[in-house]
Amino acid sequence: MASSTQLLLASSTLISQGAEAKVYKGRLHPPSSHASNTDEFVLLKHRFNKQYRHPTLDTSLTKARVAGEARAIVKCQRAGVNVPSVRMVDASEGVLGLQWIDGKSIRFLLGGGAEGEEEVEETSEDETIDDQPEDDPLSEYNISKDDIMRKIGSEIAKMHKADIIHGDLTTSNMMLYHPRTGRTELVLIDFGLAYTSTLVEDKAVDLYVLERAFSSTHPASEMLFASVLKSYEQTMGKEWKSIGRRLDDVRLRGRKRSMVG
Amino acid sequence: MPGKPRKRSPLKLPEKPYIALGLEGSANKLGAGVVKHSPDGSTTVLSNVRHTYITPPGEGFLPRDTAQHHRQWAMSVIKDSLQKAGISLHEIDCICYTKGPGMGAPLTSVALVARTLSLLYHKPLVGVNHCVGHIEMGRQITGAQNPVVLYVSGGNTQVIAYSQQCYRIFGETLDIAVGNCLDRFARVINLPNDPSPGYNIEQEAKKGKRLLPLPYTTKGMDVSLSGILTSTEAYTLDKRFRPDCLAAEGEDVITPQDLCFSLQETVFAMLVEITERAMAHIGSKEVLIVGGVGCNERLQEMMGVMAGERGGQVFATDERFCIDNGIMIAQAGLLSYRMGFQTPITKSTCTQRFRTDEVRVAWRA
Repeated sequence: MASSTQLLLASSTLISQGAEAKVYKGRLHPPSSHASNTDEFVLLKHRFNKQYRHPTLDTSLTKARVAGEARAIVKCQRAGVNVPSVRMVDASEGVLGLQWIDGKSIRFLLGGGAEGEEEVEETSEDETIDDQPEDDPLSEYNISKDDIMRKIGSEIAKMHKADIIHGDLTTSNMMLYHPRTGRTELVLIDFGLAYTSTLVEDKAVDLYVLERAFSSTHPASEMLFASVLKSYEQTMGKEWKSIGRRLDDVRLRGRKRSMVG
Repeated sequence: MPGKPRKRSPLKLPEKPYIALGLEGSANKLGAGVVKHSPDGSTTVLSNVRHTYITPPGEGFLPRDTAQHHRQWAMSVIKDSLQKAGISLHEIDCICYTKGPGMGAPLTSVALVARTLSLLYHKPLVGVNHCVGHIEMGRQITGAQNPVVLYVSGGNTQVIAYSQQCYRIFGETLDIAVGNCLDRFARVINLPNDPSPGYNIEQEAKKGKRLLPLPYTTKGMDVSLSGILTSTEAYTLDKRFRPDCLAAEGEDVITPQDLCFSLQETVFAMLVEITERAMAHIGSKEVLIVGGVGCNERLQEMMGVMAGERGGQVFATDERFCIDNGIMIAQAGLLSYRMGFQTPITKSTCTQRFRTDEVRVAWRA
């Protein structure tokens, strides 16, 4: 007998398969009579069984991760971080239902290609933007790259102030969208690896993960990341001092770093 | 030029056959191999000889003793590889040696051999990054085009993908390497180092039944392994631990086999997970496993299941090419030699720290 959660998944449409979950678009309630409303949709994140993992390990990890993700999102929301709100949780089935967000990932907007897309062969970034400004996907949102970076920095800082560590900060895990209030907002998504910690260390590692994601997906983006850090610093206030110092330590930590000089 | 479908490889077909000798000795394996690139674009492995320095159970290999082993065996291993290839040193085009990363003393003794041969026979030297050697050999043997590479060995644990003349590291271990973790646990439970501690762990793990809870520490695309090693070691001090596997009927015991099994399952699940995350991030469907731990069949199996779920496939090689060897150095060295790269004798140093992403990969599009 299929559970109601399984029935819900079966009636939804699969939109993508990420690293550890399948993402569906569905509805919790049948469509209402009045005008179509994007809020009716939910995003269903199903952590399916990983066949490669030992079943015991898989079950406990899945359960802990769904519950942890829901908990982290609710905590973020209380702290005023822009996150999609939780609509339903079924930890034993591995399903989390979230508010549907109609937007685009920062990775795509910065020209890193959409997730799952083959890398675009050699297009000089400046050239494309200079020659055909109408092709710049950012124009739709009426926001500059620098503003996006500032938003990224301040959202992360708000989250860290609430002692939430995202655990997988990449440009794919941030989206821009227009809520009905009009202003363009940046939303942090995918709290699958998030956890709570007050440690300076964890916050610094969180930033370092993002720095690495920037440099690996968006070559020559040092300036962009610098402005993320700057706005992070502004929002973080005096806590920044210790985090910044630790971030410098963390950068030296990868193995086989050149120790010359 | 935007709109161009696919860039052509900058590496031109050789106008004549090229032959390279590769010398490897960054850890406890001393390897010499000869590889040939023919004008039709094919690559032939002419010989692949290896001699491993094996220590007694419970002991690791120390740099000084390992270097001594390499010095002792260098002549016979090189002679053997040339004989098997059926060529003389006069016929080769370049001598490739491991520049790093690895243990200092073994690296320098092999580099010394390379320098000597280079001066004696007037052959150019090519210094090669060990990790790039593994990747190029894996690509050559399996024919994988643009895979996400999981490089797992005694000294390295990295998830790598190629982009713009560079092998970029997407994820890596934050502390010890996975092979290091397995080898050290093999020492704790006194498994022999012959043929390799990792192989013996794999065999023991096949007999394990019980999955004991261990930390599961993936951090984004990075992993941390030292805590897992400590936790596994802590189980050997548990009251339930029976090194001899003897148990009364119905008694709750932990055997070394269970520990090997739990350690492998947990650590490999983490590695597969970060590889999967990198694949999703890049949008690649191919995985290539290289490095000594890459010949572990359980890891290959788990990776195969994961790749299958994503509609992709896994490429892996066997111990001849997974475990450190000379031909991988020859292969990567010859590729860069054909692009015009040489290491002058005054610059023919080695370095213990030499990251994969420091190498300019001139030979790929």
